[in-house]
Amino acid sequence: MSIPELPIAVGTEMAACHECDALHRVPELALGATAHCHVCGAVLARNPKGGLDRPIALYSTALILLLLANSFPFLTLEIGGRQEVSTLFGASLAMYNAGMGELAVVVFLTSILAPALMMVSGLYVLLAVRFRISLPGVRLLLSWIGHLEPWVMLDVFMLGVLVAFVKLGNMATMYTGNSLYAFLALILVFAAASSSFDAHLLWHKLGLPGRKT
Amino acid sequence: MHMRKSNSLNNTWALLIAAIIAYVPANLYPVMTVVSLGKSQSDTIISGVIYLFAHGDWPLGLIVFVASVLVPLLKMLALLYLLITVQRKSHLRNQTRTRLYRVVELVGRWSMVDIFVVALLAALVNVGAVATIEPGTGAIAFSAVVILTMFAAMNFDPRLIWDYQGEKNGNAKPTR
Repeated sequence: MSIPELPIAVGTEMAACHECDALHRVPELALGATAHCHVCGAVLARNPKGGLDRPIALYSTALILLLLANSFPFLTLEIGGRQEVSTLFGASLAMYNAGMGELAVVVFLTSILAPALMMVSGLYVLLAVRFRISLPGVRLLLSWIGHLEPWVMLDVFMLGVLVAFVKLGNMATMYTGNSLYAFLALILVFAAASSSFDAHLLWHKLGLPGRKT
Repeated sequence: MHMRKSNSLNNTWALLIAAIIAYVPANLYPVMTVVSLGKSQSDTIISGVIYLFAHGDWPLGLIVFVASVLVPLLKMLALLYLLITVQRKSHLRNQTRTRLYRVVELVGRWSMVDIFVVALLAALVNVGAVATIEPGTGAIAFSAVVILTMFAAMNFDPRLIWDYQGEKNGNAKPTR
């Protein structure tokens, strides 16, 4: 008895929804189209406009903005003629100086390290796939980017800046630094980069590996 | 395609229970202490929200109230509900429960805002004898709550919700 052939058309791939395990045949997607699971509605695959070039450009921009956001004063506070300047890193440093090393790590990770790692690893994978260079660890990094994303809290940090502004507004004068503007731009560019970056598309372009995550 | 998260239920339960325990000191202990001209005043998560409301900034107060009081509470309740319904092999409202899980995963990180406020205030207000702001033990407990619930949500495998829908039709149950 012969094994019945699976009805998979050329150019389509089988995918199990990562949220409910329903099996799908994902067709070639039109530019800008998104495929959703028919059972639970989770996103199965996207084909973002701008292909790989757009996330490469946006992640590079975000990386430069992150450098700028860390190079100038972030906020300046004035009480009774005295000025206190803080950088972005200063928020983590203050936690460390107060004897709260754990919190210093948390703040540093979510406001600086996780975004930086995400941009660098994203660019590494994107460039490797875009220019067909075989670099070590591309698959490993790609599978880790998804785990990194929830720990990037630039937008939450910005809300924290707003609250700090209001809380100190009564007792002191606050000035915004150049880094704060770079940080604002960083949030926007980073959000645009993340939405133009699709791991599924990269897996697809990487082709069938020896091992898959 | 991803592998099933191994030991999903046990891990999620453990992390969630730890988060619920940490939630108590997170709300009882001050997240920061303001020392100004010899006087010191401690703020908990709740009193920080009340301060924002009292100073007429109610839109911001509302956002912070949602992010730091409502979200952690609802998140823990939602995870509890998902865990219990999965263990009772419920196949009711699978779509709604999956959507609930997605929301839980998405909004959890916003609770971290209070930690950032404390860090920023501590970094800025360090002006010699005039005033200093020190982070308190409550901040550590609170960030533990946020991180533990984030890990709990990550460890929960939403596919568990769908495992029992076929059972009533006599289909084989996937092994876990």
